Amino acid sequence: MILAAFLVAEFILFSATGRNFLQPDNLTNIVRHSTEIGLLALVMMPVILTGGIDLSVGSLLGLCAVLFGKMVQDAGLSPGAAAAVTLLVGGIAGGFNALLITRLRLPPLIVTLGTFSLFRGLAEAITKGTATYSKFPDSFLALGSATFLGLPTQAWVFVAVAGVIWILVHRTTFGRSWRAIGFSPEGARYAGLPVERRLAFAYVMAGVVAALAAIILTARVTQARADAGTGYELLAITAVVLGGTSIFGGTGSVHGTLLGVAAIAVLTNGLSRIPSIMGVSRELSGVLTGALLIAALAGGVLMKFLSERRARRQTSATPSTPSNA
Amino acid sequence: MSRYFRELSVAAVLALMLSALAVFAPSFFSPAPLLSRLASEVPALVVALGMAVVMIGRQIDISVGSIFGLTAVLSGTLLANQVPLPLVLPLAILTGALFGGINGWLVAGLGLPSIVVTLATLVTGRELLSLWQQGRFISLPEGVQWFGLGQTTGQWTLIAVGLLLVTLMAWASRNLAAGRFIYAVGSDPEAARLAGVRPGAVTFGTFVLMGALAGFAAVLNLVQSPQVDPKAGGGLELKAIAAAVIGGVAVTGGRGRLWGVFLGLLLLTTINPALTYLRVEAYWEKAIQGTVILLAVVADRFQGNGGAK
Amino acid sequence: MTPLLQLVSVTKSFGAVRALKGVSFDLKAGEVHALLGENGAGKSTLIKVITGAHRPDAGTMAIAGNAIENLTPTAAQRLGIACIHQQPTLFPDLTVAENIALRLGTTRSFARVNWPANRARTAELLGRIGAAIEPDAEVRSLSMPGQQLVEIACALGAGARIVIMDEPTASLTQKEQHLLFGVVRDLKARGVGVIYISHRLEEIFALADRVTVLRDGESIGTREVHQPSGSGALAGASPSGASPVDAPSGEAPEGQSDRRGACPTIDLTEAELIRLMVGREVAAIYPPSESDPGDVVLSIHNLGCSAGGVKNVTLDIRAGEIVGLAGLVGAGRTELARVLFGLTPADAGQIRLHGQSITVCSPQEAVAHGIAYVPEDRRRHGIILEMPVAENLTMAIHRRLFPGSWLKLKAERHLALDLIRDLGVKAYGPEAPGGSLSGGNQQKVSVARWLATKPKLLILDEPTQGVDVGAKSEIHRIIRRLAKDGLAVLMISSDLPEVLGMSDRIAVMRGGTVVATLPGGTSAHEVMATALGQSAPEAAA
Repeated sequence: MILAAFLVAEFILFSATGRNFLQPDNLTNIVRHSTEIGLLALVMMPVILTGGIDLSVGSLLGLCAVLFGKMVQDAGLSPGAAAAVTLLVGGIAGGFNALLITRLRLPPLIVTLGTFSLFRGLAEAITKGTATYSKFPDSFLALGSATFLGLPTQAWVFVAVAGVIWILVHRTTFGRSWRAIGFSPEGARYAGLPVERRLAFAYVMAGVVAALAAIILTARVTQARADAGTGYELLAITAVVLGGTSIFGGTGSVHGTLLGVAAIAVLTNGLSRIPSIMGVSRELSGVLTGALLIAALAGGVLMKFLSERRARRQTSATPSTPSNA
Repeated sequence: MSRYFRELSVAAVLALMLSALAVFAPSFFSPAPLLSRLASEVPALVVALGMAVVMIGRQIDISVGSIFGLTAVLSGTLLANQVPLPLVLPLAILTGALFGGINGWLVAGLGLPSIVVTLATLVTGRELLSLWQQGRFISLPEGVQWFGLGQTTGQWTLIAVGLLLVTLMAWASRNLAAGRFIYAVGSDPEAARLAGVRPGAVTFGTFVLMGALAGFAAVLNLVQSPQVDPKAGGGLELKAIAAAVIGGVAVTGGRGRLWGVFLGLLLLTTINPALTYLRVEAYWEKAIQGTVILLAVVADRFQGNGGAK
Repeated sequence: MTPLLQLVSVTKSFGAVRALKGVSFDLKAGEVHALLGENGAGKSTLIKVITGAHRPDAGTMAIAGNAIENLTPTAAQRLGIACIHQQPTLFPDLTVAENIALRLGTTRSFARVNWPANRARTAELLGRIGAAIEPDAEVRSLSMPGQQLVEIACALGAGARIVIMDEPTASLTQKEQHLLFGVVRDLKARGVGVIYISHRLEEIFALADRVTVLRDGESIGTREVHQPSGSGALAGASPSGASPVDAPSGEAPEGQSDRRGACPTIDLTEAELIRLMVGREVAAIYPPSESDPGDVVLSIHNLGCSAGGVKNVTLDIRAGEIVGLAGLVGAGRTELARVLFGLTPADAGQIRLHGQSITVCSPQEAVAHGIAYVPEDRRRHGIILEMPVAENLTMAIHRRLFPGSWLKLKAERHLALDLIRDLGVKAYGPEAPGGSLSGGNQQKVSVARWLATKPKLLILDEPTQGVDVGAKSEIHRIIRRLAKDGLAVLMISSDLPEVLGMSDRIAVMRGGTVVATLPGGTSAHEVMATALGQSAPEAAA
C-alpha cells in the first residue's frame, strides 16, 4: 500500500517537473528499460521467499548474453536455436547453484557469490575482455524495439513470465512449499514436503529466466557484451524487498514485486526527465535505490518491532521475560 | 599438525606454484616487477584481513569497495588541497570507520542480514562517488607518491606495513580478549552471550574495524600512483572474500586464522601471473577466483563436517 | 547452619501449564543432593529457575541466607552457580584452552590473554578431574562426555559453590563415570553443594546424601540416603559404578542406619524411590481400550541406524493397536521414530508394511507408504507457526488434494473446517495463523495434518507434552478413536501414566534398542524398572 502511494507520488512529481514524462513514447521507454531487471526480480522473489538469495543472476545474464551473441555471430546459428541453447545453459547454471545449495548444504550466499564471480569471469574469458557481438538479424532485434498490439514486444514476454510466476507462487503448491521452507525449513521437511526439489526448482528457474533476460537485453541494446547486467542482482533484490517480500523468507507477493520494479523504473526514468539534474540522473537514481533498500529493510524491522510490542502489551497480564534481543 | 592442516595445505599449494614458476618462468622472480606486484597487493591484504575478522564473526561486508573508493577520493581531494599526508591518513581511517559504523549499526542494531545491508551500502556509496567525481581522476601533489621516499624504498615501506599489520592482527586475534570474543560470537552467539560477551557490540566493532582498515588501505593504494582513480575499489570485496575463504576462514563463522588469510591472498595473487607466465590468458581471472572460492567452501564442507551427514 | 541454597514454594507456569507448583528445596554446603523424577516432572524448570534462565512466578530463593531476586544467568554465574548440561554449551570451533579462557577470562576487551598460564590452568583443571584431554584439542573433535568434562573443568575453575549436574553420566563410559564420581566427591570435600540429576538409581545410592523426588511439578518428598561408611566410600561406590545391574539395591543401606542417628531412619530402597516417582495409581481418566487388534501392519526386524544411535530394534504393531514406547530420555525412542519416518534412514534391518518389505529414505517416501509422524517439538517441527491453520492441515496431502499442483482453496477450506470440527480445534477459523493457537490446539492441528493423509501407521511423539489437562484428555480420546477405526498407533511418551493408561502393549527402549515388550496391564513399577535397567523381580514374579 505504501509502495503504491509512493508510485503515485512519483508519477505526480515527475509529470510536474519532468520533461515529456507522461508522453506515450516515454512510458513505452520505461517498460522497455525495466523488462530485464523486472524478469530478474520476478525469479529472485521465489528464491528470497525460501529464505535464500541468488547473487549470481546478473553475472549469469552477462554470460548468457555473450554465449548467445557468439552462437549467432561466430557459429552462425539462427537466433531461435541460439536462444534455445542459451536458455538451456541458464538452466544448467541455475542447477549448478542448486546442486551446491541442496546437496552440499552450503549457504546460498557464498555459493552464489562464488558463481557471481565465476559466471562473469567465463563471460570475460569468452570475449577476451573486449569482444562485443553485434551482428544480429533485424528480425531478432525487433524483439527489443518493435511493438506488438500496441505494447513493446518484450513487454509481452514479461507479462507471460510474470503471469506464470504469479500463478506458481500464489496458486500452486510450489508457492506453498517455498513459503513453508522460508518460514521453517525443518518444519517443511517434517511435513513431508520435497524441500530439496522445491529449492532446486527456484534456483533453476532463476537461471533460465536470467538467460531469457540476456536475450531480451541483447535485442534491446543490439549488442552482447561481457559486462551486461552488472549490478542487476542488486536492483532485482531491491525491487523484491521494496515489494514487501521479507528478506528472512516466508512472506511476500509477486504483485508487490511488480510494484517494486515499477517504482525503481519510474524513479530512474523520471529523474532523467528533470532538466536540472538530467546529467547526473543515473548516479542519483542509484543512490536513491540503495537508500530506498536500506529504508525498506529498516522499515520492515521497525514495523515488526512495533507490532510485537503491541502484542506484548496486550498480553501484559503475564510477566514478561527479560530478553536481550 | 592437523590443527593447521588447512593453512599448511594452502602453503603447500603456494609452494608448488612458486616452484613451478621458478622452473618454467624464472622471470617471474626478477626483483623489480615482483616488488611492485607485492607492493600493489598490500591494500588488498589490509582489506582481506578486515574481511576475515568480519567473517570470523559470522557476518560479511561487501561494501568495502565503496568505502575504499570514497575514502580514496576524499583523501585525494584533501591532499590536492595541500592538507599534509600525516593529517590525511588518520582522517581516512576515521572516515572508513564511520562508514563501517553505519553498516555495523544496521546489522547489529537492527538485526538486518549483513549481505543485503552491505549490498545496499555498496551501491549507495558507489553511486555517491560517481555522482561526486563523474569518473574524474584526482592529481596528487609532489611528495605524496611513495610517501616522498622514492619508488623502491616506498615499495619496501608498504610491504613492511602490510607484514606488520598481519603480525599485529594475528597476534591480537589470539592474545587479546577482544579477539577471542569475535571467535566466540562467530562460533555460537548464544553461548557467547552466556559467557558474558555482548554479541551486538562485537559485531558492531568488527564492522567499524573493517571500515577503518578499508580507509587505511585506500591511502596505502593512493600513494602508489600520481593520481587517484575513483573506481579503484571495484571488485575488492570479492578478492578479499576469496582470500579469506581460501585461507581457511569459514563462512559460517568462528574459524580461521589471519596468517592463513595472508597465505590465501598470496596464493590468489600468484594464480593470475602464474597463468600468464604459463600462457593462460588473463581474462580468466574472475572465473578462476570464483572457482577457487567454490572449491574452498566445498573442501571445507567435506573436511569439517565429514561425519555429520 | 544456613543452607547454601534454599528455595521456598517456587511456582512457575508456562501458559496454562503449571510446571512447578510450590516446590521447596534446599542444598547444604558439601552435600550431594539428588533430584529425581520422571521426564516432565519439573526438574529442568527447577534447574532453570536456579540458574536464572527462568524467573519464578512466586516463591523465594536464597543463597547462603541472602534473598535473591531477579536472577539472570550472568548474575547466577557470579554467585557461583554452575550448571553442567546434558548438551554442553561450549564453542565447538575453539580449543579447550580457548573455551576455558573465554569462560573464566576477563570481559575487558583489550586485556591480554596469557596463554601459557591459561594452558597450564586448563591442564591443571582437566588433571584434577582426571580427564585425558589435550588443552589444544578442538572442542568439536571431542566426544560428548569429553565436552562434559570440559564443562566441569570450567565450573571448577570458576570456583562454583553450587554445581548442578544434569544427567552427567547419560553418555559416559563406565571408566568415565568412575572418574566423574571421583570429581563429585572431590567437589563435595571442598564444600561445594552439588545438585545431581540422574535416572540411574545406583548412582544416587553411590553418591547422594539426600534425594528429592519431583512429580507433576510438586516435591513428593526428600529422603536421606545412607552412604556407605566413610572409609569405605570409594570402595563401596566402585562396584555399583562398575557393574550397575548386580548392585543388590535393598541391601546397601542396611547395617549402617545407626551412623546418622539424628534422622528418622527409613531404609530407602530402589523400590521405594520408584514408588515415589511413579506415585498415583493409573487413574481411570483414560478412556478404556476398545480395540480388537487385527493384522500386523508394521513389522520391523533388527532395524538399525548408526547415525541415529538405533540398533537391533524388532517390533510388531497391529491394526487397531496402540503400542506405547516407553523409556528414558536418550533411550532412542525419537530416534527410532525418525528412522521409520525416513528423516535418518535405516542402515540395517528390515521394515515390512502389511508384509511388504519397504525402504524409507525420505519423509516423502514415508508419507507415500502411509507412515505418519507427529513430532515431539511441536513449535519447530509439528506445525509452521506463521502459516494459517488450513495450510498447515493440508501440508502433507498436497499431492492428493491438489492434483497437478493447482491449489484448490475451496476444497482446502472445506477439508480444514471438517478436520477442525472433527478434532475440536479451537481457532477463530481456518485462516488463523498456527502460532495464535494454544499448545493443545496446535498439537491437534499437528495430529490432524497426519490424519488427513489417511495413514496406516501413526507415530505420535510425546503427544500431550506441554498441553493442558482438558486438551490432554481430548487428545487421548482422539487416539483411542483412531485405534478403534483400525489405525496402528505407536505412541512415544515419557508420561508413564499415559503410557500405562493408553497402551495395548508397551515396548520399552533402553540404549537404542527395544529391551522388552510388556503387556498392557503391566504395573508402572515394572515399566520404570525395565526402563532403568533393573531386573525388578518382585513385579515380574
